[in-house]
Amino acid sequence: MTRKRKLRLNAVSPGTEAVIHVILAAFSLCCIIPFIFVLIIAFSSEESIRAIGYSFTPLSWSTEAFRYAFDKLPQIWRSYFNSILITVVGTVLSTLMCAMYSYVLYRPDFRFRKFFNFFSFFTMIFGGGLVPTYIVCTQLLGLQENYPALIVPLLVNPFNIIVMRAFFKSSVPLELIEAATIDGSGEYNTLFRIVAPIAKPGVATIALLNALAFWNEWYLSLLYIKRNKVLQPLQALLMELQNNVQYLNQMAGQLGAAAIAEAAKMPSQSLRMVLVVLIVVPIACAYPFFQRYIVAGLAVGSVKG
Amino acid sequence: MKKLLSVLLVCVMLVGVCSAGAFAAGGELEPVTLRIWFHGSTVTPDASAKVMEEVNKYLADKINVTLEPIWGTWGDFDQATTTALAGGDDVDIYFTCNWSANEYNKYARDGYWVKLDDMLDEYAPELKETIPQGIWDCAITNGYDGMGIYGVPALKDTATQNCWDVNGTLLAELGYDVDAVCEAGLDYYSDEFEEMLQAAKDAKGADFYPLLIEPVVLERMVTHSSIITGDLNNANMLSYYYDAEHPSNDTGATIVSKYESEEFAKFAARTYEFSQKGFISPSCQSTATSNDYRTATQASAEYLFGTQSYAFGCELDYSKARGIDVRMVPETAAYMDCTSGQGAMMAVSVTSKNPERALMFLNLLNTDPVLMTMMNYGLEGFTYTTNDDGTITFIDEARATYSPWTNGMGNIRILPPTDAQGADFWERFSAYYDAAETLPYGGFIFDASEVETEGAALANVFAEYAFNLMSGAVDPDEALPEFQAKLKEAGIDELVAAAQSQMEAYLAG
Repeated sequence: MTRKRKLRLNAVSPGTEAVIHVILAAFSLCCIIPFIFVLIIAFSSEESIRAIGYSFTPLSWSTEAFRYAFDKLPQIWRSYFNSILITVVGTVLSTLMCAMYSYVLYRPDFRFRKFFNFFSFFTMIFGGGLVPTYIVCTQLLGLQENYPALIVPLLVNPFNIIVMRAFFKSSVPLELIEAATIDGSGEYNTLFRIVAPIAKPGVATIALLNALAFWNEWYLSLLYIKRNKVLQPLQALLMELQNNVQYLNQMAGQLGAAAIAEAAKMPSQSLRMVLVVLIVVPIACAYPFFQRYIVAGLAVGSVKG
Repeated sequence: MKKLLSVLLVCVMLVGVCSAGAFAAGGELEPVTLRIWFHGSTVTPDASAKVMEEVNKYLADKINVTLEPIWGTWGDFDQATTTALAGGDDVDIYFTCNWSANEYNKYARDGYWVKLDDMLDEYAPELKETIPQGIWDCAITNGYDGMGIYGVPALKDTATQNCWDVNGTLLAELGYDVDAVCEAGLDYYSDEFEEMLQAAKDAKGADFYPLLIEPVVLERMVTHSSIITGDLNNANMLSYYYDAEHPSNDTGATIVSKYESEEFAKFAARTYEFSQKGFISPSCQSTATSNDYRTATQASAEYLFGTQSYAFGCELDYSKARGIDVRMVPETAAYMDCTSGQGAMMAVSVTSKNPERALMFLNLLNTDPVLMTMMNYGLEGFTYTTNDDGTITFIDEARATYSPWTNGMGNIRILPPTDAQGADFWERFSAYYDAAETLPYGGFIFDASEVETEGAALANVFAEYAFNLMSGAVDPDEALPEFQAKLKEAGIDELVAAAQSQMEAYLAG
């Protein structure tokens, strides 16, 4: 009896529940269907695409595009490796930097707190612009034709620092740090052994944001990887194909016959969708992993102790 | 701090000594590395490395150069080069032309290219000889260091000829004598033209649109107007009406405002009529869909007449690709103007440390068949094999990994013909393009910078009306007067007057 009443406390009426279910199901369908569509196109035969365009029910199926991608394009695998390397190294480094930077901003006893707070916040409002950034990166920092060029420019994100600092403020009581200091814990020990475990949900959220940013990055490659295209990440490869096709379409007027001849060299539509599938799968697998911490973070909530 | 400064000083001095040493050697050429940025390449890193190994062996003997190519692609070239140029990247040679973002005339004016006039005789005498004077004339522009040549034009398909792209297979199906129709030529305003479209529409049903147009090309083609080089980018305002049979004839005409001409009114009325009759697909009438629709419809061969800016031999490629009998029926004779003359060029960047050697490389690239073939087609046994009659056959799989944009590289006439082209291809190619007549205004290039404000306003008006009128989407009786009134307001008269006075000055001096 009491159990039943307890359950009912949080429950909604069956009608409302049904409506909510329908809405949520429709929403998740909206997210999943495009990906299923991409999958179907990737497995459609080229003739079918030419005859009836993209369709959920292609005239014939084919694994030709996948086979071509796996056998004939060694760059795809290299780009895959690059993407993973950049994402892993970048996420670890940027999350570490973000956590450390926001930790000191959170500590009220840090003397230059105001200055460093402003220092990171300022870059959110005023950027140097594309060309000055490019000159600093290529000529001063040597970020060109190498892996760091794809990682370093994205390492510090002031927005993440603000989020992380707020998270420390709300979930880590200052008394805890005092207690640790009294017990003889050093600064690094306090951060990594005491504060970090408490702030895990926040760190995981930032790590997920960073991982997404690194995984989806293609613009840095366009700017800084020109001669040594072996280093191109997967997104850049896909973007390049997409831009090529679009550009040739646009310039058909100026280029005339050349545009048509060049367009014939471009990979088939289904091959482009194969690349999309390859890009989506790993990052989709990363979500559940991070989700655990994010849900945990929600549960920790505000009232405690 | 002092220590750091002194180390820096020593470094600077060392660099100075080293670079001085490079010139002091005299007779023997010092080894240098050249970076050259191409457009429109489909080249994988592996294939590039393989070909460059041979190229660099060859170049080491000839001019002691190590080449580091940057294989720009269609999609990334504009953004990457403009950033690199603004950022002063260490690149020696850039591809440039009058349609890419690093537009030749503008970047010459802003001081990004080295003026080559004085260096050509000394470092590139063969190159100067090879390229016809008419094409060199097109390269003369008003640059940072005064009038002169700031880039090496490519000797490629340097003429413009607008043709009707005829679906011969469908035309025969409809019961026409294809050869006779093509022989007689097509006239946009004739009743026969309309009858053929109607016949195709009747035969294939309401969803079939027989007239597959690229509105901007259709307008130039039907009214026989040429692009004035330097006209507003992507919003052409000016027309020069040439003699369709002999483009070099002085028609006595001048540069006029395109949308206020009788020719345009007549063209817009006819196109609207065709559109009302259901000959033109609505997809052709929206800038968002027209390009994709055209590409797809060409590939599936669902059209009767299309528009095509001709390239020598392209009907063979199209017939093969579309699986139909594609015929090209000329609307006008082929002509040469600076729009085609500046279609692909190579400019030496002012950031180059060895502009002389860069020019020597361009000289060799454009005059040495061995080098041009290696750069453009790859290596024998890797990307192609040679046949007994001197033609080459591509090894498709490897060629797909090493496929620079052939026309963008330079003098393509020194390449070996492919088996698909036939042994005498380049003779026929040269004959066709050399026969093209030059328009009466020759190498004139309009500099629109003095009417920049008007230009911006005009481009906005253009975006609102021009495409709709040219594709027959709106009734010209209503829209054209409105359009003309807005153009007047935006300052079209100033633009035309500026172009006209510049052309007169050009022709006079």
